[in-house]
Amino acid sequence: MEELTIIAVRGLGLGAVFSLVAMSLNAVHRASGIFNFAQGSMLVLGGIIAALYMPNVPDPYRWALFLPVAAIALALVMTVQGYITLLPLRSSVEQHSWLVSTLAVSVLISAVILLLRGNSQILTTSQFPSFPVFGTRTPAPYIMVIVLAFIWYAALRWFHSRTLTGLSISAVAQDLDAARAAGLRVRKLQMLAFGISGLIIGSAGFTAAPILAIANDSGLAYVTNGFVAAVVGGIGSDTGALIGGALVGVLSMYTAFAYGGEFQNAVTLGLLVLVLMIKPEGLFGTPAARKV
Amino acid sequence: MAGISPTDSSPATGPALAMTGGAEPVPEANRRPADLQLATGIVLIIGSVLLPAVLGNPYWTHNFTIVSLFITVAVLQNLLLSDAGQVSFGQGAVFGAGAYITGIVSGLWGYPLAVGFLSGIATSVVMGLLFAAPALRVQGFYLGFVTLSAALVFPEMLVAFSDITNGINGIALPVPALKEDVFGSLNWIAILAMALACLSLVFHAWFRTTALGRKMRVAAVSPEAALTLGTSPGQLRFIAFTIAAIGTGVAGALYAASIEFVSPYAFKVDLSIFFFFSVIVGGSGRLIGPVVGTAILYLVPNALLADLASYRLLAYGAVALIIMLVFPDGVVGTLQRALRRYRARSGMAGIDFKTVLVESAAVSRDAETSIGITIRKARKAYGKMVALNDVDVEIAPGEVHAIVGPNGSGKTTLLNVISGLARLDQGEIIIGDADATRKSAYLAARLGLGRTFQTPRVFDDISIWDNLQIGADASISGRSSWLLQSLEKYRPRWSRELPDSLPHAQRRLLEVLRALAMDSRILLLDEPAAGLSSEERHDLAGLMRMARDKMGRTVVLIEHDLGLVWQVADRITVLDAGEIVTSGLPREILADPRVRNLFAGAPPEGAANA
Repeated sequence: MEELTIIAVRGLGLGAVFSLVAMSLNAVHRASGIFNFAQGSMLVLGGIIAALYMPNVPDPYRWALFLPVAAIALALVMTVQGYITLLPLRSSVEQHSWLVSTLAVSVLISAVILLLRGNSQILTTSQFPSFPVFGTRTPAPYIMVIVLAFIWYAALRWFHSRTLTGLSISAVAQDLDAARAAGLRVRKLQMLAFGISGLIIGSAGFTAAPILAIANDSGLAYVTNGFVAAVVGGIGSDTGALIGGALVGVLSMYTAFAYGGEFQNAVTLGLLVLVLMIKPEGLFGTPAARKV
Repeated sequence: MAGISPTDSSPATGPALAMTGGAEPVPEANRRPADLQLATGIVLIIGSVLLPAVLGNPYWTHNFTIVSLFITVAVLQNLLLSDAGQVSFGQGAVFGAGAYITGIVSGLWGYPLAVGFLSGIATSVVMGLLFAAPALRVQGFYLGFVTLSAALVFPEMLVAFSDITNGINGIALPVPALKEDVFGSLNWIAILAMALACLSLVFHAWFRTTALGRKMRVAAVSPEAALTLGTSPGQLRFIAFTIAAIGTGVAGALYAASIEFVSPYAFKVDLSIFFFFSVIVGGSGRLIGPVVGTAILYLVPNALLADLASYRLLAYGAVALIIMLVFPDGVVGTLQRALRRYRARSGMAGIDFKTVLVESAAVSRDAETSIGITIRKARKAYGKMVALNDVDVEIAPGEVHAIVGPNGSGKTTLLNVISGLARLDQGEIIIGDADATRKSAYLAARLGLGRTFQTPRVFDDISIWDNLQIGADASISGRSSWLLQSLEKYRPRWSRELPDSLPHAQRRLLEVLRALAMDSRILLLDEPAAGLSSEERHDLAGLMRMARDKMGRTVVLIEHDLGLVWQVADRITVLDAGEIVTSGLPREILADPRVRNLFAGAPPEGAANA
């Protein structure tokens, strides 16, 4: 019973990380058609900010001060990345270009982390005491990251349906040429989307740092798991991202308990292939995702 | 030794070089760009291994042996990426599977090396097929993520199943016989690696001249166009992944023998990314691109930064990013483009409309029986939008039948359901005497349909001649194309030029000619006159008449330019909001008041003589 609770609670916590990665992937994809392969590295960067600036003796105020710093720092990094990625593109259908440039950014970030911090895992102390959930002591970040996922979900919903900028991004998502013809500054909106994605991923990495595997080469595993969450939920749907993340997280945690951590990625890969073969549009997506 | 012949990667060996496209021989000069790249590539590969071997430097002999194996993988990745359009970030796992199984079978279990090699190659093929399966359903970044995950998972599985793989301790695979120096510091492994790399290049060059290779490139650029040319993109993807896996597996098996040791660390995701970046840095789609790319990515960090191994990743990432931003065509592509721009000043490519017309028409041939199309009670809806509602059209054999109507009236939908790109909800379509209602596009194409698209689907990466050849490859009659024969004298020039230098009107003509080269009995033309000058429209009308009168083709024409329609159409069908308004001879249509309302404006010039 206790084991089940641990799997459920920690699985949902890990799943919330995947949901946040998926939502941040969606944010960029919606505006530009781009899927950022470096998103996992961005999560790791957020975690590294926590590792660098959070003291070993818990200090919640310092944490609250640094949370926006981490979010804004990653927003800046991703805006720059967005600028670089969009530079050679005339249209978002030129997949080869952004596939390569976002993957290259991921490799670059890994390389820099390797140079500065070596290849060992970087540990962070949780700034909040762990507390009991259904009788099991649970480290606070598992719960906090779930809350964060819901906050970003609500914020994105409000942004895309209530603000003019958000609506403009939705317009770009639906018809790029029409949006351009309507006088929207598409390139700026796309860079803004990269920035928003950075806010999400920066706050996620910072909050989840104590429960993440922060290392030079862990970024790719996070982005692929986040992508699986996005596909399971349906690409472009944040509701889907929330649910998909939870599914992937719990499945992943169960696998780790039952068979060992080295099988986590194998099982999510299996899930990805299964969904793509059977229902490529995911739970909440539109069937248009598949072509020929 | 018998089992390790590297020829497995290719059905064609030496003679392939001498063989050129299709059945007929081609003047030597036509293939110059590819031949030059091929020769340069082979010289580079052999030279890089032989030079240190002659000088007796085992360190560099060994390094270039590894580079040769990596080049092999990269060449096949290039084929997969640019010829077949498949993004695989997991070729390192395919390579690793070949290496590891060789290690397990021969190193751990003690079977002869030949058995190990064959098992390794077989495992790589299985791995490649595993990649191909999702490629049937999804493309682009989806496939990128799937293959990337596979590359991440592969080394984890090597550790997880340590009972079989010996886990992180790795497997020793001593091959003293192959490691003996034959000449200088040259051993058998180096010779085999060198031969394999050259062979993969030769194979790639040859493959592009085959009908299969051309079809693959068409499917990569436009699966829809491939379907209308009568090929199935799914099959082609399977073939591409299999070809790549075979060669990559051979390279992997040789790699295990070359290092004499395998461990999970050698096959991390970085290796897959390395292969992909090699292609991009060198120039994807360019024959010699992977050779240059691999050399740059492998040698720069290993030679210049030899003491700073941890900078290697940084170098990969930085080089790939800079190349993508500054020289998106890669090193070779950028050089080639500069060269072409220089040459282009000496003369512009072009197709002389009239000459082509006159010459093609001059060739007399047996008129074939024309076939027609019957559409009954056709209904097609997209969600709530009804695109076709109870449409009956009779297209008689050997007529030019124009379908006109305002935007959104269902014209293109009608063309799509005829050619099988969309499926009817209700009703039936008979082509000739075959029921085509449930036929997919490529089966419909085999019933004798050829079509063009609103935006010309011309393939810019392959020569003008090959663009036509693609049509002839898809010929349903199985005979060599009379059209291509009649154009034979243009072949040398058109084989050297790419269609990206052609103006719009000529690209359109090229597409029409391609549909004619298919020997299709029915031509479906979707707004062929869009963007043409009045003189070009006149020529186009001539071409359609010729197709009807001299070749016995049935032409279905969708057109906004009513002037052109009055000029050529034998029969006109007017569509509005998914329904037939009227159908009949041009003068009947002209008299119909309902039609006048649809097309506000005076009847076009020349209508009187129609």
